[in-house]
Amino acid sequence: MGKQTWKERIPAFASILGLMVLIAAYYIVGAIRDANVAYGLKAIVNQSVVVALVATGAVFIYTLGSFDISLGAATGVSALLGAMAYNATGNLLVMFLVCVGVAVVLGFINSSLASIFNLPIFVTTVAMMSVLSAFMLILIGWNGAGDTIKVKARDVRPLDNIPFKVAILAAYIALCWFVFTLLPTGREAKFTGGNPVCARLSGINEKKLGIIASLISAVGIGLGAFVTIIYAPTLTKDTASSIGMDVIIAIVFGGMPVSGGPRSRILSAVVGAFSMGFMTQIMSMLNLGSGYGQMIKAAIFLLVVFIALGSQRGKLLTR
Amino acid sequence: MEPVLSVRGMDKTFGATIALRQVDIDVYPGEIRGLIGENGSGKSTLTSIIAGIQKADAGEVTFHGKPWQPASMIDALEHGIGMIVQETGTIPGITVAENLFLGETSRFHNKLGLVSRKAMEQEARKALDVIHADHIRPDIVTAMLDLQERKLVEVAKVMVKKPEILVVDETTTALSQKGRELLYQLMNNLKKEGRAVIFISHDLDEIKQVCDTLTVLRDGKIITHFSKENYDDDAIKASMIGREMQGDYYRADNEPTWQEKVLLKAEHLTGSDLKDISLEIRAGEILGIGGLSECGMHTLGKALFGSAMLTGGTVTVEGKHYSDPQMATRLGVGYVSKERDTESLCQQASIRDNIAIGGLQHIQKKKLILKKRETAYVQKQVDVLSIKCRHMEQPVSAMSGGNKQKVVFGKWLGAGSRILILDCPTRGVDIGVKQSMYQLIAKMKNEGKAILIISEEMTELIGMCDRLLVMKDGAVQKEFLRGNMNEADIIRYMI
Amino acid sequence: MKNLKRILCLALCLMLTLACLPAMAAGSVKIGVLVADATGAEALAFRAYYEKYIAKAYDVEFIYSEELKTADGEKDAIDNFIVNNCKAVISFSSVDRPAQIEQCETAGIYYAVATGTLTDEEYEDFKNYEHYVGAIGPSLNTEFQVGYNMAAYYIDQGMTKFGMFGGAVPYRTDMHIYRAAGMLCAMVDKGGEGAAYQGVNKPDDIIGMIYGTGTIETGKIGNLELLAYVGGYDFDDAWFGKLAQMAGTEGIEAILTVGSGVDVLGSFVAGSSVKLATVDSFTPAMGEAMNSGIIDYVAGKFATSIGPIFIATLNAVNGQPIRNEEGCALALDQGYWVATNAEQFAQYYAVDSSEENPAYSKDILDAYAPAGVSYEDFAAFVAQYSFEEITALKK
Repeated sequence: MGKQTWKERIPAFASILGLMVLIAAYYIVGAIRDANVAYGLKAIVNQSVVVALVATGAVFIYTLGSFDISLGAATGVSALLGAMAYNATGNLLVMFLVCVGVAVVLGFINSSLASIFNLPIFVTTVAMMSVLSAFMLILIGWNGAGDTIKVKARDVRPLDNIPFKVAILAAYIALCWFVFTLLPTGREAKFTGGNPVCARLSGINEKKLGIIASLISAVGIGLGAFVTIIYAPTLTKDTASSIGMDVIIAIVFGGMPVSGGPRSRILSAVVGAFSMGFMTQIMSMLNLGSGYGQMIKAAIFLLVVFIALGSQRGKLLTR
Repeated sequence: MEPVLSVRGMDKTFGATIALRQVDIDVYPGEIRGLIGENGSGKSTLTSIIAGIQKADAGEVTFHGKPWQPASMIDALEHGIGMIVQETGTIPGITVAENLFLGETSRFHNKLGLVSRKAMEQEARKALDVIHADHIRPDIVTAMLDLQERKLVEVAKVMVKKPEILVVDETTTALSQKGRELLYQLMNNLKKEGRAVIFISHDLDEIKQVCDTLTVLRDGKIITHFSKENYDDDAIKASMIGREMQGDYYRADNEPTWQEKVLLKAEHLTGSDLKDISLEIRAGEILGIGGLSECGMHTLGKALFGSAMLTGGTVTVEGKHYSDPQMATRLGVGYVSKERDTESLCQQASIRDNIAIGGLQHIQKKKLILKKRETAYVQKQVDVLSIKCRHMEQPVSAMSGGNKQKVVFGKWLGAGSRILILDCPTRGVDIGVKQSMYQLIAKMKNEGKAILIISEEMTELIGMCDRLLVMKDGAVQKEFLRGNMNEADIIRYMI
Repeated sequence: MKNLKRILCLALCLMLTLACLPAMAAGSVKIGVLVADATGAEALAFRAYYEKYIAKAYDVEFIYSEELKTADGEKDAIDNFIVNNCKAVISFSSVDRPAQIEQCETAGIYYAVATGTLTDEEYEDFKNYEHYVGAIGPSLNTEFQVGYNMAAYYIDQGMTKFGMFGGAVPYRTDMHIYRAAGMLCAMVDKGGEGAAYQGVNKPDDIIGMIYGTGTIETGKIGNLELLAYVGGYDFDDAWFGKLAQMAGTEGIEAILTVGSGVDVLGSFVAGSSVKLATVDSFTPAMGEAMNSGIIDYVAGKFATSIGPIFIATLNAVNGQPIRNEEGCALALDQGYWVATNAEQFAQYYAVDSSEENPAYSKDILDAYAPAGVSYEDFAAFVAQYSFEEITALKK
């Protein structure tokens, strides 16, 4: 039997090639604009790592053909409760455990509701998003110190460094890659996303899969919340609010179809998150103004999706 | 008589694959022309070019003596050639009327510029009545229709334009006997009106019954033509596959045989279209279920796999009860659905993924899925079943019907299923592949597997089964043993 | 398909190249601007002053952030400024000022606060930071006075029945609390013998009470009466209902708002005899509201008020930061312009929005805040912020 031709392999690598193009463009534009490219790399990591963490976990949910719109709110609540736990105990490990623990509990609630009421995960996350957003306001109100909850910056500063964040990201990606690629969970998730009826008729328990996916995603959310506190220890009701949309963009930018299924790739998230980071820096260096910058980002986004989906546009074959 | 459609020197390639080479064919008014050939012979490619779906690389097509180069399928239909495709041609989320007049809703604009649903549904009603599909409501969402009804909507959509040439591409596989009769009637009406039909089917009996002439394709070339007077099964089959068929088509033996051990037992199954059905399947037995399309046999297949809603009854494998597909697969039950593309395969996934998903427990080593083991596992099924593909990463959507069915078989065989429920296993499959499937089923019987075949093809049931249960209106009417199966008797209990 | 992809790729490359060209010519000083609001009329007015006048007059390039609502957003924006080799940051965003100052200090770029101030505690922490330029904006005392003067204006006209919109008081926003407290204190001071708000009559006590409850209680304050109060920015039906109810309260003569008066109450008071007063900014929309009689009193930020903080920042970038004798950064108060009729508003607005000769023009800034200016001279210059004083300076 033959192997895939290089042309057939291109779609799988298109997003990585895209990232390489963006990195090259970053350096070129940086040189032209006399920008501080070394510092910019650090900024890109800081700006991309939380999205990369949350998006990597979210790949499991999207792979199932589902959708989680409450990612931002869940990250915000986890961060707020983590910060409050730190303020109560002065212990960073407690803060970490609360961030991850709260996220896992929220993920479990989402998936259990979907399982019990036989609803798509998306529907329960819509409800969760509203509930969690309101809960964030309540938490800030309880705190009684204006409209923020703060952790002392000097206490978390030792952890606010690139090696630590990269280490967390690398460890989580390794875990997710392991589960997605080497365990049956990933295969079953991809198959379910591609055809849930066939998956069920092949012996796959999609409810159990939904719960596992939610829990894995929740760990990413908890880690994202923890890194958010470290990076910017003043939290408001808007903390992490844009993450939901950023995750979708990152995943699509990374070459994964939003509908999930067999073409899902665990690395799409991190490739997409960093692609977005590089693109944002390039737009910033060009100082185009936010309107033009957004338009160009949108155009590049459409181009990437167009190329990535190009291979899937049907060609009729003999029958 | 001058042909209404002429094709000269048509070539078409897809990458390295030569789909058509120097094809010449003439279609005459008032003719029903059958096109037959193995999967991959070029039948659908030829007709899809004629119907405007794609363009040829070389060659000439004339329609009524004038060059024929439709810009699209819609353009072709507007100018006189319509096609009913093999795959699903309706959009599930909109109504029947909206599907019928897709892209033409401007016809029904009222004075305010809004679409008048009433007017559209009235016209849809007329179109459905033309094809005698009066049971289909124009205002119903298409997703609520079953496969056959959706196919009839597609037929109505094409017939409303009164095409001069109608192309029917393996449409009858989705239809019950009643649906097929309806279609045959339409085709005959067109013939009487002096129009032409190009009919593609794998069912030799059907094609011989319906068609005036038969053209055989193989490897993208026209091999020969048969006129009705010269129809000969063996000659037709030989020209299709390029050799004499070796061995038996169905099973060689004529006696029912099975082992003592009962593998699967169903007791008092009752549901929406099942009435108190009980049966047993033994190891090494092929049990057939036959009947008309709506008799409940397809639901029975699902029920035996644990995926149908039942109001009563139990299904057990060696005494162990199960009620969902997960438990069924763990107990060694495999299920090949009639709706292959939507229920048995993940179209976007590769051959590898579709086969491996059934046997992940066999591929794992210390809970990990290792690529090498997976490759070997899948390769074994590809080899055993002679699945034609370029490589195992190929998406199944690009495969022929027969090869797709082999992939489905591979999933369950690889999983080591001891009990196989096969619902219309050779639907949409050419005779060469059919023969190999029958041989495989016979082999599985000899290996001691319990096999249930649900089929609407009587010859298949008679040819393969040790026992045959005939169903009607949700209940078993009669049991026949191999050797005593007679078509006339069976039909009597079916209707 | 192949050709289409090629065309798209070429177009993208061309676009990026063209976008680079003007930038290649730029050699100006780059200043990053952090904004919390990118689209409001006030924000646009500030931006217009910097981009259409200051940038041309001083050969500086302003790089604006996106609209910022979170501390990490602020941090990302400052990182972007650093990447772009900005020499300074002027901040209109206040989610986490201390973090902003620390970040700029670490990066070695100057940081200034526009239209705002640090708390006393924060100032103590950062006043000696080498790269902290300082803050020029309304102090909390100024905010208090704005509210006081607003209420006093109407009380002096003989009005006795008021409504109040508290804005962000429920969220414990200092600025709004002090403005509201000022209004209440004016009522206490002018409410006659024994007038008190909820039993207290000292400013600190009133401020403390508002912080504690997060709301303002209606009732009599001496011979004056607060008939209705609405706070918060819920923007739901119930909230709009309360605002409508307040505007329609029988006997109400004036509604005093700590901010956003036109936006939240304009439609409810239009056509009625109820006077509406607000703290806002000098924008075209405010002018229209004045002309149509919807708004009666505006204590407004004027767009060019950010001129002094710019020049202080530029001086710092050029090696001449303005420090007091102890080497501390700027902490200067700057208040509002008050217009009580349409003609006055139009006059103020014309000067403020001029692209040729705005209130704080280059001439004024260079004359009164040259490189090397002393802290005292600069402070005296900034203190003359009223329209009349600036007009006199121009002469």
